[in-house]
Amino acid sequence: MPAAAAALTVLALALASAALAGNGGLAPPDAESPNAEGINQTYYFILAFTGVIFVLVEGLLLLFVFRFRRGRRSREAEGPQIRGNTRLELIWTLLPVLILVAIGGFVFYKLPGIQNVPSANAQGGRLDVTVEGHRYYWEYRYPNGVVAVDRMRAPVGQNVQLTLVAPVDDVIHSWWIPALGGKLDTIPGQTNRTWFRARRSGTFVGQCAEFCGIQHAAMLAAVEVMPREEFEQWLASEERAQRTGSSMLGADTWAGACAKCHGQNAQGGIGPTLVGNGAFRDREALEAIVRQGQGEMPPIGQTWDDRQVDALYRYVRREFGSGGGTGGG
Amino acid sequence: MAVNHVEARPYRPDWKRGRVAGWVTTVDHKRIGLLYIATTLVFFLAGGVLALLMRAQLATPNEQFITKESYNELFTMHGVTMIFLVVVPIFAGFANFLVPLMIGARDMAFPRLNALSYWLFLFGGIVLYSSWFSTGGAPDVGWTIYPPNSVFAGGTGVDLLILSLHILSISSLLGAINLIVTIHRMRAPGMTWMRLPLFVWSIEVYAAMLVVVLPALSAGLTLLLLDRKADTHFFLPAEGGNALLYQHVFWFFGHPEVYIMILPAMGIISEILPVFARKPIFGYAAMVLALVAIGFFSLLVWAHHMFTVGLSRPLLGFFMVASMVIAIPTGIKIFNWLATTWRGNLIFDTPMLYALGFVGVFTIGGLSGIFLAAFPFDWQVHDSYFVVAHLHYVLFGGSMFGIFAGLHYWWPKLFGRLLDERLGKLSFWLVLAGFNLTFFPQHMLGMMGMPRRIYTYGQGGAWEWYNLASTIGAGVMGVGIAVIALNVIVTTRRGRRAGGDPWRGDTLEWYTTSPPPPENFDRPLPYISSARPLRDLRRRIQESGAG
Repeated sequence: MPAAAAALTVLALALASAALAGNGGLAPPDAESPNAEGINQTYYFILAFTGVIFVLVEGLLLLFVFRFRRGRRSREAEGPQIRGNTRLELIWTLLPVLILVAIGGFVFYKLPGIQNVPSANAQGGRLDVTVEGHRYYWEYRYPNGVVAVDRMRAPVGQNVQLTLVAPVDDVIHSWWIPALGGKLDTIPGQTNRTWFRARRSGTFVGQCAEFCGIQHAAMLAAVEVMPREEFEQWLASEERAQRTGSSMLGADTWAGACAKCHGQNAQGGIGPTLVGNGAFRDREALEAIVRQGQGEMPPIGQTWDDRQVDALYRYVRREFGSGGGTGGG
Repeated sequence: MAVNHVEARPYRPDWKRGRVAGWVTTVDHKRIGLLYIATTLVFFLAGGVLALLMRAQLATPNEQFITKESYNELFTMHGVTMIFLVVVPIFAGFANFLVPLMIGARDMAFPRLNALSYWLFLFGGIVLYSSWFSTGGAPDVGWTIYPPNSVFAGGTGVDLLILSLHILSISSLLGAINLIVTIHRMRAPGMTWMRLPLFVWSIEVYAAMLVVVLPALSAGLTLLLLDRKADTHFFLPAEGGNALLYQHVFWFFGHPEVYIMILPAMGIISEILPVFARKPIFGYAAMVLALVAIGFFSLLVWAHHMFTVGLSRPLLGFFMVASMVIAIPTGIKIFNWLATTWRGNLIFDTPMLYALGFVGVFTIGGLSGIFLAAFPFDWQVHDSYFVVAHLHYVLFGGSMFGIFAGLHYWWPKLFGRLLDERLGKLSFWLVLAGFNLTFFPQHMLGMMGMPRRIYTYGQGGAWEWYNLASTIGAGVMGVGIAVIALNVIVTTRRGRRAGGDPWRGDTLEWYTTSPPPPENFDRPLPYISSARPLRDLRRRIQESGAG
């Protein structure tokens, strides 16, 4: 039976390794930004050494198990009483030292390309976006005052610096879009910086990677990368729309900041139902609740500007404000 | 004769001799060891059920088997249970039972303190599990209890968790001091430090590390409790506190804790491999040095759990290098174990299978640790399922395989009966296959972007397939563990009697009956002239018989 089970295990491993060779297997996802590319190269560099060690150790283990099995020998028969071998032991102490020096050296060689945020004066300029981690949504601020929720838009081929923060009353979150580089935490009271330069258009998704509470799993992020002219156009028109109050910011804020707990139709969920809630027709009440929180609800909007509160208010009044409310109006 | 006669056994009043009272009032290290082991195995089953519930929830995308509130309680309680109520205390149980036997002592240095350690441990476990019935339910903030989230968490679950960890820390601290004193003061004549069984060495390092790092945990938890209950702001940035301070304090305890959980397993493997290879351990001195080196360096690597908080580059570099340094003594141990099997007479009884399985799967956990030490790659997979895979390869593939090996190996010494070999082998293959099916795909999930501690996911395709495979694997593992439980039940009455030394062991615990009598040895011990006193004895008998 052990032999059959061993054979099955080997077969399963062989099948698995065939399935594993490609992307989504032992290969990390394709990098779409130079920092993610640097990380992938580090991965393959380490894999080259650890792969050899893996095959060596597991191979020797299987070989010894097969070759030195008891077989027909007596249970009492002893093997040769070998107590050690200084030269061998020195080899398997010093060789790993060399391997680790190589890996450490490679990490530091690649590090500037991964971690250093390109200068604002670099060719093509740099877009600076602030990323604010909230329970349980991402808020993005562009230099011209445009605000976005959960879905970030960015230009192809341009360096984007991300300034990662969290409101002081919030908890720790972690920004992570695998295709665009490693993660970095947003920590209340601290500012972190990272960057990316997307290689192509497309939408790259990720999500919060530091457990932040009940809706941690719903704290999804997406970066929609578009050609540069298209992006500039969007940014300018969005700025006008948010200034004049005709943007989708209210709907996005509802979906990102409110609906994850109260439901897209305000029907309730983790938080209570908001159907017929007076705050839908009372801007001051709405503002007080989102800025200060209430009961178990965190102060989700403590960092919003008036425009965003207005946008949300317009949206909720239009969508939900007509129901039979009690107060406000 | 005018010699002071010392009563061999302490006086025990009648009421302490009852079946239950005997166990409650016992100060015998073997009985306390059994209490520890039995209690931890119950908690192990509980923690395993929590894990199976989580895997059921994650089997398919957007599954609604379990609510998000419950899921967060499940992963918190699973982590705390397995770390604080299973792996750390089960080694205390093994150590309690075995250390006095292996060093030829009659009991632990402080038998009453020993009993106190156990009862505190049980009390801590009950306090933790009582949180299910408290306001707001069990704690739902993760075993790491990071502020500010843990300060904001409602209910009393987190407070009970903190209280429980305080009690468990005191229990561990008392146990550790007891073990250290026992090992230092009560070794049999001739048992020098370099003739000490490697399991005892591993317990020496385990206990020393507990003494060094548990106070840090207690301090961090106390500040956290004050933040929750007394309106202090140690970790609240809004009031001028620092959220990262907690992480430094916690991981100064938390990383050594990982090695506290693996070193005794390494010690167990180092006892079993030589016996079932019929060879001495390869490179005894190097094995001892490696244990001590791992213990020491584990105190210098805590911030590799914090690579994504925005550490300065010199700190990132230091903690990468320090973490990689640990790979060297770990590699020495793996190669020495391999060399121990070389040219041996390998006997594949169940303890040996688990020990060889340990070498095979722990290697994978060690190698994935090198990836995580390289901080740029850690930035990708930190707090993802890659880390979940890594830590289970170390904690299950390492610690638990070591524990299963040790249970099968010492079971006859504990109870006088052998476990059934056929059921034992069946359990090994089920656990090995289920374990790898559960945790190997999680490496890929992590690289693809699946964070840990999420109650559901929306992605189909490979995410779904890997998650489903993982859930099936967990089921297979569950069956394997059920087979172990069945084995225990079946052999309790009908198991083969073990005799003193069923395996032809090398160390002193096999020199007495199974189970050993009170005070352990009913005949004089031989003078200890090597790390394998029983083999020496067998050879002396053989030579005198031949001569």
